[in-house]
Amino acid sequence: MSLVDPPVAALALVIGVDIGNSTTEACIADVGDGEVGRLASSLTRTTGVKGTPDNTTGAVTAVRRALEATGRPAGDLATVLLNEATPVISGLAMETITETIITESTMIGHNPDTPGGDGLGVGMTVSLDDLTTVEEEVPVVVVVGAGADFDDVAHALNTAGERGVDVVAAVLHGDDAVLVVNRLTRRIPVVDEVSAVDRVPLGMLAAVEVAAPGRTIRTLSDSYGLASTFDLDAEQTRQVSPVARALSGNRSAVVVRTPAGDVTDRRIPVGTLTLSGAGRSLDVGVDEGADAIMEAIGRVAPLDDVHGEAGTHVGGMLAKVRDTMTDVTGQPASEIRIRDVLAVDTLVPAVVRGGLAGEVSRENAVALAAMVRTSRSRMQAVADALSDELGCETIIGGVEGEVAVRGALTTPGTSVPIAIIDMGGGSTDAALLDRDGTVSAVHVAGAGELVTKLIDSELGLEDRDAAESVKRHPLAKVESFFHIRHEDGTVQFFSDPLPPHVFAKVVTVTPEGLAAVPVRGPLEEVRRVRREAKRRVFVVNALRALAQVAPQGSLRLLGSVVLLGGSALDFEIPGMVADALAPYGVVCGIGNVHGTEGPRNAVAAGLVDAHAGMVAGPAPEKLQRRAAAS
Amino acid sequence: MTAASDLAASGSAAPVDSVRTLALNEVGPAERGTRPEEVVIALSPAFGDPFTKTIVDVPHAEVIRQLLAGIEERGGVARVIKVYKTADLAAIAHHGAKLSGSGIAVGVLSRGTTVLHQRDLARLSNLELFPQAPLLDAEVFRMIGSNAAQYAQGQSPKPVPTRNDQMARPRWQAKAALLHLKEFECIDHSREAVEVEPVITKVD
Repeated sequence: MSLVDPPVAALALVIGVDIGNSTTEACIADVGDGEVGRLASSLTRTTGVKGTPDNTTGAVTAVRRALEATGRPAGDLATVLLNEATPVISGLAMETITETIITESTMIGHNPDTPGGDGLGVGMTVSLDDLTTVEEEVPVVVVVGAGADFDDVAHALNTAGERGVDVVAAVLHGDDAVLVVNRLTRRIPVVDEVSAVDRVPLGMLAAVEVAAPGRTIRTLSDSYGLASTFDLDAEQTRQVSPVARALSGNRSAVVVRTPAGDVTDRRIPVGTLTLSGAGRSLDVGVDEGADAIMEAIGRVAPLDDVHGEAGTHVGGMLAKVRDTMTDVTGQPASEIRIRDVLAVDTLVPAVVRGGLAGEVSRENAVALAAMVRTSRSRMQAVADALSDELGCETIIGGVEGEVAVRGALTTPGTSVPIAIIDMGGGSTDAALLDRDGTVSAVHVAGAGELVTKLIDSELGLEDRDAAESVKRHPLAKVESFFHIRHEDGTVQFFSDPLPPHVFAKVVTVTPEGLAAVPVRGPLEEVRRVRREAKRRVFVVNALRALAQVAPQGSLRLLGSVVLLGGSALDFEIPGMVADALAPYGVVCGIGNVHGTEGPRNAVAAGLVDAHAGMVAGPAPEKLQRRAAAS
Repeated sequence: MTAASDLAASGSAAPVDSVRTLALNEVGPAERGTRPEEVVIALSPAFGDPFTKTIVDVPHAEVIRQLLAGIEERGGVARVIKVYKTADLAAIAHHGAKLSGSGIAVGVLSRGTTVLHQRDLARLSNLELFPQAPLLDAEVFRMIGSNAAQYAQGQSPKPVPTRNDQMARPRWQAKAALLHLKEFECIDHSREAVEVEPVITKVD
């Protein structure tokens, strides 16, 4: 292209470099007389945290790769344009706000895969060894310790039954419930896999309930059911109602009536967030949940800073975010302002305190993404280092949002006014270019990283890579060695057998092949968690950010919305955002910078276009062309 | 390491002092099963007779009992077959898998080495392999049975944690080789695989 364009004298080789949270992109072009002849683009991983001197290595790599692609020597390079990568470093934290505590071994509420028998049995707890001395006609619940063999247990229970002892239920240490029940002359409910069975109090009234396969318990999960079972008065019933709630949804349960036993479903006092902005400050308790926090943030918008109550988890969490930023940027913590917070309600599997069978309950938690601004001077350091390395002039360009709009405007089918949503790793940015040429931009906290974290914690994966894979790729279930069922129900067959390690697993369908997801739940559950995480972060943030830049805060006044950034390449996020925007009559789609680059490279291309525009005049090339045409 | 000392040791751990013996009663030629949740347990030529225990003296009665218990606890059904034509674990297990209604089989050698196989896999591949026979005890056999039943039901169980002992090879290799030779002598090339009914008797 450059060979065809004749005005060689005015041509300068310019490269725009966009340092993002996770990727560094470059766009190289010949610029002269307001004309831009784009030559190549490149993409590499960002080195270090965005906006710090560590970025230099990645930026140099991106520049070198772009130069290689054009085949031009580094000496030809006239100008490197850097984005003002000030704004965003984000921190993430998750705070569990409820906990379940069982005192005095009141209940066993875990869900063994295979409890035995069904029905409800109420009686006194006795150990297996004491069964021979129990009086006749007394209903008993037999508690079996570790190491007992299922044949021996069944034999002992049958013998006791023949003697006239009324064995109504059993609680086992091992995974033997079905085996024992299959060998009994009389079917009773049996709960197994109770790891701390030795802590079940003996000589107490206990109830064991097991529901038929595919059903959940009815009596012990109901307050009045418990009251009838244990003959409780109104006040006692009030006290045991948390037990009933904790057991609902289980297939099996054991409740032991002890003098002071209790299950507490406690809200952990996790402190308050102090939000300041719009000339006032507001306190909101983190344990009030994400909705209350987000509502408070809306009331003080635009947010100046956020503090957490000292000595609480939330205080420590925000201090940690600040500390991390301090480490990264070298600024004193007092100068770091948290400019946005996104709070998301989530559920985290947590081990119940005091549980006898390693019970896990899904506790409420609040995930917070905080966004911090860093100082411009750090970017200057990157620019200086780049100049030294490449031996050419380096200019720090405009705010990311503004340049991104210019880049986005090269998407075929777009026109002014245009809004963009740049969905990256750490933050979601929105910008609006109005008819009069003014650009307003906003950064909000929470993006891809938060989604990964939500997926990781809600599925209990404790494996970031697996969570990332779940986020990025569609799911499937391997049904045999020769076929899989995709999450939409379609079946795909293979002529070669699949590898054994994915057999019968829920997998992600990646370009490199199938990767097993380490969960035991069904595919639908994983899919629901993934889509909910994306909706709660990207859809919420897209609406929130657009509302901040939209004229009079009304989304209806936006013309077209272009989705940019790595997350715009996701297989479902753009659709979810477009669906959410559809009611507002907004045209929303994935950016296609210069008709070829897709949602990537908007900022890098925009930097070059802006630079060319500055040389020739105020407006970017396409605007000019549009003006000339009309 | 005599059988007597080992029994005494296990007797002190178990609440009841008793021994279980295994008889494998032949019920007919091994045929292909039709139940979709069925697991086949495929045994090697010398399993149960003349051998009665694994390389670490786990009684064969206990091996079968725990495998069956694991399958039963998960609501599965099992069939036991005995293979005479080969002492190659992969071949035994794969043969079992091809006869299994679900396509899932557990292959067991007399010395204890075990594999979980599926009929669509290549013979030398496997779902889960437990190559170090000296590390397999009753508890592991229970978990193997449980996983086999879950695979047969189309679930995705967590693989049985494989133990590893660096010393297992030097310590047991000679015995393993001898046991293998013994097993090899029991191969009968002219005898087709048979379905057997395991009868476990408790002897006080």
